[in-house]
Amino acid sequence: MTTMEQTGKAVAIEDPDRIQDTGWTLAEVWRRVSPFLVTVVNLSTFFILWELFARSGAISPLFFPKASSMFEALWVGLTTTAPPGAVVSGSIRDHLFYSLSNLGFGLVIACVIGIPAGLLMGGNKYVEKILSPYVWALASVPRIALVPLFILFLGFSVKMQVTIITLSAVFPIIINSWAGVKTTDKSLLAAAKVFGASRRELYMKVVLPFTLPFIISGIQQGIGRGLVAVIIAEIFGGSRGLGYLVTRSADTFDSALMYAVLFLLVVVSLSLVQLTRWLEAYVAPWRRLEGL
Amino acid sequence: MSVKRSSEALHASRAAAPAIGEPVIVSQDLTIGYTLHRERKKLTALRDITLTVNRGEFVVLVGPSGCGKTTFINAVSGLVDPWEGTIEVNGKPVTGPGPDRAMVFQDYALMPWRTVESNVRMPFEFQDLGLSKAEMAERVDRFLELVGLRSFRKSYPYELSGGMKQRVGIARALVTEPDILLADEPFAAIDAMTREAMQSELERIVSKTGQTVVFITHSIDEAITLADRVVVISFRPGRIKEIVKIDLPRPRFDRDLKMLPEYGKLYDHIWRLVKDEAFQAARGENR
Repeated sequence: MTTMEQTGKAVAIEDPDRIQDTGWTLAEVWRRVSPFLVTVVNLSTFFILWELFARSGAISPLFFPKASSMFEALWVGLTTTAPPGAVVSGSIRDHLFYSLSNLGFGLVIACVIGIPAGLLMGGNKYVEKILSPYVWALASVPRIALVPLFILFLGFSVKMQVTIITLSAVFPIIINSWAGVKTTDKSLLAAAKVFGASRRELYMKVVLPFTLPFIISGIQQGIGRGLVAVIIAEIFGGSRGLGYLVTRSADTFDSALMYAVLFLLVVVSLSLVQLTRWLEAYVAPWRRLEGL
Repeated sequence: MSVKRSSEALHASRAAAPAIGEPVIVSQDLTIGYTLHRERKKLTALRDITLTVNRGEFVVLVGPSGCGKTTFINAVSGLVDPWEGTIEVNGKPVTGPGPDRAMVFQDYALMPWRTVESNVRMPFEFQDLGLSKAEMAERVDRFLELVGLRSFRKSYPYELSGGMKQRVGIARALVTEPDILLADEPFAAIDAMTREAMQSELERIVSKTGQTVVFITHSIDEAITLADRVVVISFRPGRIKEIVKIDLPRPRFDRDLKMLPEYGKLYDHIWRLVKDEAFQAARGENR
């Protein structure tokens, strides 16, 4: 009964009333606006309660500043540069750039090492067997324990900090890329083979695109780990960066500045993670919809 | 038997293809299995399969789960090698996949990062059929039209329903105009109503393109609806239990096939053949 022509037509000429325009009813507008409003009200309430609590004087402002002081310190810190020669300026900007450029540098190195290493481990069982004990060992050792070692080797230098960042970020990237290759859908591989794909084409046109979203989530985890490493390395030693600024402002009882830096860290971390989420959704929209 | 079948025959139109009825797939005492490395055992999946499939024929394999039907199709496609016996396609032993054979998969096996159109075009990227870009584009168009998905060419597989995904799978398999279409339970994951529609469409499509089809199913209904011959395979190791000829008139898609008395007889006959095997399989015995 169902010939192609009939079903084809059924798709083409459908009931014109099937899809109707709802227009912008009040309920529709509310549906769109309410999530945004909830967030705004929620966060404002949070900061207002913070402000009131701080003003009540229950906790000394040496430890717990007013929300408004924090935002002021943040604003001033981000809009002014440090005067030359200042020990610790109120300027957060220089320290932020320093930390972010180290993070960026470390992440790039982690990708350059981690992605090929992970792909090779997934693609060749001998490489996998040889590398996996080192990968698991280094991935599971708490990186903070290695910081003194690198200070010994490299001193309180940018090199030391970048090394620690790289070492923290590289393992999630390796492990995710590796897992991506290993879990490549067998029937996709079979299909490509049946349609004549060579070994090279199997890797380039099936394994690699399949693994790409895994690599991106590896980078996402790498950013989180890398950010921790930035702060740890700066707290341990050095005289620049957000980590340094946190310890320094704590030492000088500049609680407004310290909270400002912590707040900034939250914002930076969330934005970077969100960025990779968008990237992942853009590169692999099917994963989100399949709930993977 | 055409021994000189090669790429030029492949490019030739259907009309120029050798006469209907000559053997295309010849399997002689084919025995295949696989190795369970962990248990250090070799398992025979199929034993002594001797089967000849003729050009333009629609052969359906039925049998319980795990009886080696898929192994047979994989041997024809060149994904697995015979242990014993021979398998020939167009007079040549199968040594690997080739553009004269294409497959439709149960789980569709569409690349999720490619659009419908790009999935259908994929076989051209892996095998050089000597077609110009325009010819390839024309083929992609033609087969998308044939499966009724022209307006979905820019969609991604995750945006389509199961039935539509499998139509993409069918278009992809047909785009190289292979001699042989292999289908491994292609409609098993599709709901019952869509499934009947898909069966009709497959019959209609193949009647136009003239492919030789080897089709696996668990459904006796589906087998009778589609097949010229139904090959009943026994449970572990798979052997041919009986070959049932289906003489129902074609085209079948616009007929009330199930009202025919022959239909009931055929169904009953095949069910009797499969029944014991199916019960055995359900108990998971006799590995």
